[in-house]
Amino acid sequence: MEEETLENEELVISESFFGESFRALRKNKSALIGLAIIIILIFVAIFAHLISPYSPIKQDLYNNLKPGFWAGNFKNFLGTDEFGRDLLSRIIYGARVSLSVGVIAVIIGIFLGSLIGIFSGFYGGTLDNILMRITDIMFALPSILLAIVIVSVLGRGLSKAMIAIGITYSPQIARVVRSETIMVKNTEFIEAAKAIGAPKLRILRVHVLPNVLSVIIVYTTLSIGSAILDAAALGFLGLGAQPPTAEWGAMLANSNHYITGGYWWVATFPGIAILISVLGFNLFGDGLRDAIDPRLRKKM
Amino acid sequence: MKRILLLTVVAVLLVSLFYGCTPKASQPVTLVFAKAGDAVELDPADVTDGESVTVMNNIFEGLVRYKPGTTEIEPWLATSWDVSSDGLSWTFHLRQGVKFHDGTPFNADAVVFSYERQRDPEHPFHKYGKWEYWGYCFSEIAKTEKVDDYTVKITLSRPFAPFISTMAMFTVNVVSPTNCEKWGDQWFAHPVGTGPFKFVEWVKGDHITLEKNQDYWGEKAKIDKLIFKVVPDASQRYLALQKGEVQGIEFPNPDDLSKIEQDPNLAILSQPGVNVGYLAMNVGEDTPGFQKPFGDVRVRQAINYAINKKAIVDQLYKGTAVVAKNPIPPTLWGYNDAIQDYEYNPTKAKELLKEAGYPDGFKTQLWAMPVSRPYMFDPQKIATAIQADLKAVGIDAEIVSYDWGTYLQKTENGEHPMALLGWTADYADPDNFLYVLLDSDSATVGSAGNIAFYRNPEVHKLNMESQKETDQAKRIELYKQVQQIVHDDAPWVTLAHAKQILVFSKKVQGFVLYPTGDYHFESVTISQ
Repeated sequence: MEEETLENEELVISESFFGESFRALRKNKSALIGLAIIIILIFVAIFAHLISPYSPIKQDLYNNLKPGFWAGNFKNFLGTDEFGRDLLSRIIYGARVSLSVGVIAVIIGIFLGSLIGIFSGFYGGTLDNILMRITDIMFALPSILLAIVIVSVLGRGLSKAMIAIGITYSPQIARVVRSETIMVKNTEFIEAAKAIGAPKLRILRVHVLPNVLSVIIVYTTLSIGSAILDAAALGFLGLGAQPPTAEWGAMLANSNHYITGGYWWVATFPGIAILISVLGFNLFGDGLRDAIDPRLRKKM
Repeated sequence: MKRILLLTVVAVLLVSLFYGCTPKASQPVTLVFAKAGDAVELDPADVTDGESVTVMNNIFEGLVRYKPGTTEIEPWLATSWDVSSDGLSWTFHLRQGVKFHDGTPFNADAVVFSYERQRDPEHPFHKYGKWEYWGYCFSEIAKTEKVDDYTVKITLSRPFAPFISTMAMFTVNVVSPTNCEKWGDQWFAHPVGTGPFKFVEWVKGDHITLEKNQDYWGEKAKIDKLIFKVVPDASQRYLALQKGEVQGIEFPNPDDLSKIEQDPNLAILSQPGVNVGYLAMNVGEDTPGFQKPFGDVRVRQAINYAINKKAIVDQLYKGTAVVAKNPIPPTLWGYNDAIQDYEYNPTKAKELLKEAGYPDGFKTQLWAMPVSRPYMFDPQKIATAIQADLKAVGIDAEIVSYDWGTYLQKTENGEHPMALLGWTADYADPDNFLYVLLDSDSATVGSAGNIAFYRNPEVHKLNMESQKETDQAKRIELYKQVQQIVHDDAPWVTLAHAKQILVFSKKVQGFVLYPTGDYHFESVTISQ
């Protein structure tokens, strides 16, 4: 996913700009750590069926709530959950679920948001006014609340949670893209394009879109982290992934009361998994922003 | 200017700090009890669920009641009664000088009003309720009449062996007629009875507050205020109890019990419950949730073979229950111990599915309650375990859940293919299980107690016979036959009979467990 968008960018933004960004990125240690985490996550997600020791949904009730390696249990490295399912396998498969939810939700959000943002910023006037008032309304609601409302309309389930999160992300993206579009719109090369009589859609496609793309890419990376967190929150509330799907948030929710009973591992490891993956996307996103955004780069 | 404003704010805050410290005359004694779910309604005749009943136990009273902690009947709002020789005509002599919380005198009119509104479709208040229980347990009552101000005559259309036991049920608690007239269709949220506690407020989904009835006719309650707080999560209930936010909780998490036992400030009250937790498979072809496979007895038996009940009881109930093989618990008379339970045998389950024409299984839904129930502490967990067991024989079940009130309504409508539910006895008679939960009379779409919509004419015939029979030994025989038929037809997977477990702070004394799962707080004291 990441690589793909970067390639697209490469096509449209001059080579030197990309090269420069990449060099800046390489200097940023935390961004590289973030990138490493993301690559590992993607690897784990893709090859979950090969590297996980057991099936994530195979239950063995008589072997439930067993501690893992710290108690000498190397069969279930991270222990087992309340149904005797192997926690490590569930976390590995959970990466697949969480990652795909994060990415797909953000793609939905980016698509909707950029569309609204670009048209709003480029055409301005009444259309801009209407679209921005709509996003204002969506902004008035906390994003997780909005997601809950949308999920309760659409129904429970992972695919609906993705759509819900995507929709809640679109207004933020629309705002960012809109302001960027307005800036680009007033530059001289757009004036020039207009002057030689290029049609509006062509200007949008060839001149505006490539120039706002860098903002979109940065926003995508940063949003994936929070989208994973939101998906976990929905799962925690029982509105996202449905049992027996291994999803980190749902795993956390189902096992939180075992902490009082002394079975700390059941809730701790899914929590750590969420933490690490969100951290990875945020670190990388931050680094990417610093690297791509020319205004920020100058300050460095 | 800004400084003055700041000073004023600080001054106001300081004053308010001391305001709270003024000594109060006497602190009212308050008990907060954490419940797993909110009441659905507070009209005793219009509910079927324990969460509503346990609140109303303290507000309403009936003509007779159970002696605390037993299922023995003793006179209560009626001081005595006479039965005609044919068992069809019952005359109750009412207690005098009793008043409802709103000041209305308790008399024959109130009793007739309370019963006739449920029975008579022409009654002006009949339209305000569904009166499920009247259909389950009181359909034999032909008429309730006033003889004089303090005498009531109830005529039965047919002899009904458990009649006097059923008269202790919440359904026939007496309600204030003036209050019903005042609130009309909203009366279910403004209950007025004669009990030891008065209703104060109900914040839906959060808490119900009751206060001591100062004018109670009998022994007055020892606490001033009783608050039922809704805390759906078992570990949160436990934490609230540990922190002293509440003084009692129901349905602790089985995993926490060993910890609770070690806590010197907490006391566990426990006894075998007269209940059953089950998985009903919808066989009613006229219901919206009916799925073809469940019409086949081989599929239902396969599901019985596929579920590892023992593992569920051992590892999820953590020994707070026994495996169920019959719809009625072994603590109740009439239990058929000769029945051979379906053992856990996935291979046999697969064979049966193949025979029935579903070698690759099928897709279905498994409904699970959203709240802890006395017969099932964590329905969602049990549903997940069952889901995995079914998956192992090829049946793909999606877990479906609604909020508690909706869940009950939808299962009564038969919108589920498979649903978890359970039952706690209202009176100690197999009739309360086998008639209410498995008879064709109770399988009416929209107000079903029999949510498997299992309608076997043979079962119905035996149930009817037993209701008329007064010889206990013969009734036992009839009920044993019913259990055998139900076992063979397998409309349910009987899962477990759970122990009734409540946890109180050691400061709380005098709470008595009822086999029927009722909560009566009038005898409770709190030491400081």
